[in-house]
This record gives sequence, structure tokens and C-alpha cells, in this order.
Amino acid sequence: MWQIIVNEWQYYFRSRLLFSISAGFIIVLVLTVILGQYQSGIQKDKYVNATDHLRGQWEKIEAMNPHSAAHYGTYLFKPGGLLNSLDDGINTVTGNVLRVEGHVQNEIVYSEASQIKSVSRFGRLRSSLLLQYIVPLLLIFLAFASISNEKESGRLRLLLVQGAKLSQIIFGKILSAWLYGLSLLLLVFAAYLLLNIDSLTSATLIRSFFFFVAYALYYFVICGLTVYLSARWQNATLALTSMLAIWILWTIFLPAILISYSEAAYPLPSRDQFKTAMKEDRAKGIDGHNPLDARNKELQEKVLAEYGVDSLSQLPINYDGLRMQADEDYGNIVWDKHFGNIREILTQQKRMIQLAGIFNPFLSLRNASMGFAGSDNLHHHDFLLQAENYRRVFIKTLNDEHAYGGSKTGDWGWKADNAFFKSVPAYQHKPRDIGAIVQSYALDLGLLLLWTVVIFALMLTSTPRMKII
Amino acid sequence: MDSGDLCFNAHINSENENNMSANFISVFVYEWKHFIRTPFKIIALLLFVIAGVYGLHNGAALYNEKVSEIEKLQEKAANEEEEISGYFSKGETGPAGRPWVNVTNPYWAIWYTPVYHFKSPDPSIVYNIGQSEQYGFYKKVTFWSSPFDADLAEEIANPERLQFGRLDFGFVVIYLLPLLLLVLLYNIKGDEEDNGYLPIIEIQSGSINSWLLTRVAFYASVAFISLLLMFLYGGFLTGVFASETSPVFGIVLLLLFYLLFWTVIYFLILKYGGGTAKNTLMMAGVWLLLTFIVPASVYQFVSIKNPASLMTDLIDAKGDNREQLFDQPDDTLRSMLFKRFPEIVDSPLAKDSTRIKRAINRSVSSLANELLKESIVRLENENREKNTMVSLSYWFNPVSFFQDRFNALTATHYQDFLAFRDQLQTLIDKQIGLLVPEIWNDVTVDENRWSGYRSRLQGEM
Repeated sequence: MWQIIVNEWQYYFRSRLLFSISAGFIIVLVLTVILGQYQSGIQKDKYVNATDHLRGQWEKIEAMNPHSAAHYGTYLFKPGGLLNSLDDGINTVTGNVLRVEGHVQNEIVYSEASQIKSVSRFGRLRSSLLLQYIVPLLLIFLAFASISNEKESGRLRLLLVQGAKLSQIIFGKILSAWLYGLSLLLLVFAAYLLLNIDSLTSATLIRSFFFFVAYALYYFVICGLTVYLSARWQNATLALTSMLAIWILWTIFLPAILISYSEAAYPLPSRDQFKTAMKEDRAKGIDGHNPLDARNKELQEKVLAEYGVDSLSQLPINYDGLRMQADEDYGNIVWDKHFGNIREILTQQKRMIQLAGIFNPFLSLRNASMGFAGSDNLHHHDFLLQAENYRRVFIKTLNDEHAYGGSKTGDWGWKADNAFFKSVPAYQHKPRDIGAIVQSYALDLGLLLLWTVVIFALMLTSTPRMKII
Repeated sequence: MDSGDLCFNAHINSENENNMSANFISVFVYEWKHFIRTPFKIIALLLFVIAGVYGLHNGAALYNEKVSEIEKLQEKAANEEEEISGYFSKGETGPAGRPWVNVTNPYWAIWYTPVYHFKSPDPSIVYNIGQSEQYGFYKKVTFWSSPFDADLAEEIANPERLQFGRLDFGFVVIYLLPLLLLVLLYNIKGDEEDNGYLPIIEIQSGSINSWLLTRVAFYASVAFISLLLMFLYGGFLTGVFASETSPVFGIVLLLLFYLLFWTVIYFLILKYGGGTAKNTLMMAGVWLLLTFIVPASVYQFVSIKNPASLMTDLIDAKGDNREQLFDQPDDTLRSMLFKRFPEIVDSPLAKDSTRIKRAINRSVSSLANELLKESIVRLENENREKNTMVSLSYWFNPVSFFQDRFNALTATHYQDFLAFRDQLQTLIDKQIGLLVPEIWNDVTVDENRWSGYRSRLQGEM
């Protein structure tokens, strides 16, 4: 089999057309990694500058009432994924800016896609675009004639007479094309590692490893299926067109239909329904800005009893801060319910798309690629959750200062000093744990592996029955 | 040349013409037979039509969703209006439990006037969803609003689906039509070349070019008829043909030009190419280049030159700059207001030293609005720069150009949503223009006056 692989590679090198295409493609591939890295770097700088700018503004607050500061709030910006320069995923369509303030959990807004007219349906030129769409085509063109040409020229019979086994020849052809795809992958991997050598962490390496494993498995499926069709059909052109049809179905047709279908199967509420339902639920709780609210009376009595005093003016603390926090605590239950519901629906949709990998390995590849690059919906929601948790701590810190910082109830003119505002911790984004990522995408990797095994089994079972002329 | 020669030439020409049209028809008939006997091509066409019809239904579903959402919001606005009207008729000042609200004061009367503005979908959205899923299409406008408020966010959707895009008719046309043509045309001339039949065909047909052109024209016609049928079907889903403003002919022309564009490219590949495999490779290569690589490269280039804005300018205008504005002494704010609204200089509250502070506080949204407008101009300019860069790429980025034109024709273009944002700003300005003089003139609002506010604020754009 080794000899077959060597022969095939010699053919690849001897073919001027293939050699030129490969050389050109390698240049494009490396350039794409470099440009992806450069663009991500620019966006990262922008993120750092914006974050520093907003934090600077917060730390410059000389004196302000803590509740006014809660309304003044701050903004968080969505950080890029770890392997963003390889796969942009959903980053261009999701918002990038999240307002953090009291009384409300905001939604992330201002997506990049809304800032520019439509230019590319498949996003920016990233390695993932080439690796997902172009390399498989290249592999198809490399392998479609691998067996049928041998049949047509009569060389296959000659090889068999010389003692080679048909299965060895077929697997040799698959491995030759697969190794070609693998070497392109390794090139991307090497270029990426080289460009990121200073910032590499174990998490990045593990993610990169799984990222490339997913592609390697997919390429095996493509090569295997192409060589199978090349051996199955008498005519190379038929093998090529069949494989092209499969490629079109897998990469263009089915993803669009299956992803759209998942949204129809698990419908999301309209924005108005979502907002109205939250508003209704929110209205059932305490209103922090309305001292006449009935639920406020209950809280007031409880606090007065706790401190053993008869009126708010006798309290050693500022009751307004407690009322605001009670308002927040209730709001948090409402946000958890409604935003949780959205997350749940999106998880169901995601699971459905992942299961669709049974019919379409391209979907498994796309999921795993985005997932390990950190540019998928799970990472997006992870950021939103971390941001919301931060908001809760942020607002509670302000409300606590309002309540226990030294002011009395009703003293809205009281202001916390600059030292306090500086002491409020800044948002620190923690990348999603790699264990959780592997768990989330185990299904996609598993399905890709299953496809590999199926292709392998298909070869083994069908080889003895294949016509050699 | 004598008259006999002329007659003979005329006879030959007419015979040639007859032969040519007979050839043309016979190639068409032959191609039809070939087509219906090729299951692969039939399946490709069927899949294309299924995808197209599915896409049209997706477009129609989005249209219906939007229309129904707008109807619900209009109903909601009507209920809100009824509620406010009830305060006046019952002699109440506002909602129960909110004693600080007083709708007889212009500030609260205008605050509570429901002003919703919609970007109603054009029925032609059935053909192309374009960028409509990236923007909100309705907003409740107040004098504290801005066209970049978070409540103008797009509808809740799965971002992974948004990234791939909805399978609409536009997608089918822009991306799948060239693929359909590829499948229909890939083996034309290539098969004959592979099998060495080309010399015979040249003898039989007289010209390889006209033979090739006729065969290509046949499949282009098949594709165009399919497109037209789907186009007609889509029209009935949302009533496009009943709408006077729908650009029906523009869309048909666009479909025709786009089809011609790809047909010419593939024709040239087939004409100058070689065997089937080589031609297929070249056709697929050109398709990949024009639909994936070039648009994605342009997007990459634009992102490098003008990265995605994180809106810090707008955030400053909404936050820090606004806080600085609010911290200004009353005298400064008053001067700013007088400059902005000269008509209030001699108003009753301008001379009332006890009530002027409240009037200033309640008018300060107009100054905040000016701050926001300045930052929005800068933001829109940044976006315009990006869009100009994209437009400049059209001479080598034709697929994006066709997509852009399709979006423009179906009112799902960036510019349509920019126009919507401009309309929102006009409505905000209108509210402020009404609010400030009414406050400073110390007007007491009754039901009649409030009705006047309503019709003035909700009037057609």
C-alpha cells in the first residue's frame, strides 16, 4: 500500500496542473491565516481600547449616588474567540456591545453585519471557509478518477495480476488523497502556531487539536466516498458529477434547509412577545422606584422589625438601597426564567442541528469547527451569562453601598466617592472550559468518526464485489 | 455582380437561414430528449425548484410574521391610546400607583402618547430576505429615544442560522442557479471532445459555436422558465402583483441578467475548455471564486480597513457626555435651550424663576438628542465608508453586486434600514419640537389638545 501512496504522490508532483493549483492554493491558505490573524488582531485592539475607555470613564467618577451610578452603568464588549482567526463563526451576526445597568438585563446589540451592506453570505475570508468548502472540492478533483482511470487504462488488472490486492489499491488511493488534505491542514496548523507562538496556552492547543481532528475526519469521509464512487462507477466523469452532487447537497443545500427547519421545529418567541411576557412578570415583583408599592410595604416592615425600630428615619442604614436590591433580586428571577427559556430553545435547535450530522457530516464539521474555535452560539451565550453574572455583582455592590455606605433613607443627594467606584471590580472574561467544549461537541466528533467507520466498512464490504474492468 | 448573382445569393442566404433555424430547432429537440433521459439533470432541476419553492415559502412566512407583528403592535398602540384617553375622560392624571404622573402636563402627555414606527415589509420580500433579519423593524418612539436604541434590535433568532442565512429565493438564485447551470451544462461539448465526436458534429451542424450556443441556450431557457414559474408562484404568496410599488419587472430583469451572466461565463468555459472533467473543474472553480472567495476577501479587506465599530462614540454620547451635560449649571443649560429653541425665550416659564428649573430638567432631552445626533452622523459616515469600499469592488465582485441589487429591489437593503433610522430620528425631533415649547408655555393638556398631539406625532412620515 505504501508503494501505491508513493506512486500517487509522485503523480501529484508530476502533474503540472495539480502542482500549480496546489502551489497557488497553499499561498492563498497561508495568506488567509495571516490575514485572519491580522484582522483578529485589529479587532482585538479595538476591543481592548473600548474596554479600557469605558473602565477609565467608570474610574473617573469623582462622586455619584450609587443608584445614579447603577443607571449610568457601563458597557461590556464581546471578546473574540480563542481561534477566531481560523473560524469567525457567528461573530459577524451577533451583537458586540452589552449595556450593564440596574433594573434590567439588556440584550447584546450592534452586530457587525448591521454596520455594512451585504457583501458575503459566507462571512469573511477565514481558513475555515477554505477548509470547509474549497479543500473538499480539491480532494474530490484529486480522487474522482483514481480508480476509474486505472480501470479504463487496464492498469488495475495489471496491478492485480502483479499481486496487489484491490482493497490495498483502494485504501492506498484514499490515503494518498487524504494525506494531501492532511498536509494542507498541517500547513494551516503550523502557520497558526507560528503566528501565535507567544500566546499559546494548553487550552488553545487542545482546541486546535480537536479543530484539526474534525477536519481530518471529514476529509477522510470525502476522500473515501470519492474513491468509492470512482471504483463503483465505470466512468470517471460519472464519479465526479456524483461526488459534486453530494458536495452541493452537503455543503449548500442541506445545511440551509436543516438549520431553517430547526428554527421552525423549536420556534423562538417574537421580540415583542418576549418583552411583554418579561414586563408582565416583572410587574408582579417589587418596584424599586415606587415607594408606594404594596410589596415594598412588606419589605419595609420586615427591615424595621429586623432593626427593632419604628420608622425608616430611625434605621442606621439607607433602606432605599435594600429596596433597590430587592427589586434586582426579583428581576433576576424573571430574567432567568425568560432568557433561560430562549437558551433552552436554542439548545434544542442546536441539538437538532447536531443530530442532523447523521445525514450530513458537513454540519458536524461546521459545528465542531465553530465550537473549538470559540465562535459558536455556546460561547456566545457563555459570554452573555458571564456578563449577566457580572451585572448582578456590579449592581449589588452599588446597592450595598447605597444601603450600608453611610447614608440614610431618602438621602438621594448622598454620593459615594471615587475610591469606591475604583474598587468596583472590572469584568474579567473567562474562556469556556475545554472539558465543557469537548462534551458539547462530542456528538459532532462522534458522528464524524461514525461516518469514517461507515466509509471504511463500505470499502471493506464492497471491494470483493467490485468490477475490475 | 449582376442581378442573377444577387438572386442566387438571396436564395442561398434564405436557404442558410432556413437551415439555421431548422438546425436550431433540431438541436433544441435533441437537447430536450437528452435532458428528459438524464435523471441526474432532472433531479438537479427538481431539487432546484424544490429549494426555490421552499425559499419562497420562507420569504412569505417572514412577510406574514412581520405583518402580523405590526398588526399586534398597532393594536397595542390603540389600547394604550384608549387608556390615556380614559384618564382625560375620567378626570384621572395617570396610571394608578404613579401619583407623580400627570397627563395634563405636556411632558407626561407626550411621554404617554404611543408613537410606534414600523418598517413595513414589501411584499417582494418573498423573493429575497436580504438584510432584513439583521435589523429591527419597529420601534416605540419617545423624546428620549435614538435610532440606535437597544429596543431596535433585530428579532430573536438563532445566530448560527443567521450566520448561514435563511434559505430564501434570493439564496437559491444567487448561489444555486449557477450550480444548476453547472449541472445542466457540464458535459456539453466536453463529452463529444472526450469521445472524439467534435469533427462529425462540425460537419453535421456547420458550426461548433452555433451548435454549442444552441445547446447552452436550451438549458438557459429551461432555467429561466423555472425561475419565471417560481417567480409567479411567489407573487401569489404575498400579493406582489397587486402591489403598485413592487418592482416586478426590475426583479425579472435582474433574474434574466444574472442568468445571462453565468450562462456567458459557462459558455466561454465550454467553448475554450477541453474534456468534461476539465470543464467541470473550471466551472466549479469559477463558481467558488465568484461566490465564496472574492466576496469573502472583499469583506476581509473592508474589516481590516474599517473594523466593526464598538460604538464607543455613541456610548459616550449616551453616557459620559450626557452626564457632563446634566452636570452643567442651570444657566448654561437654559442658554443652550434658548439657542436651540429661540421661540421659548419669552415664554411664561422663562420668566418664572421658581419653575424654570423643572422646565429645564424636562427639556434637557432635546440637548441630549443633539449630542446623539452628532455621534450618529459620525457612525453613519463610518458605515458609508465601508459601503463605498464594497461598491468599489463590484467590477470584480459581481455576485455581491447582484445580491446588492436584489436587496435594493426588495427593500431589504442596508439603505432601506438607514432610511428607517432617519425616519425614526425625524419622529424623535418632531416630539422634541413639540415638547419643549409646550412645557415652556406652561400649557395644560386636555383631551382635545392631546388628540392634537397624537395626530401630529403619529402623522405619516
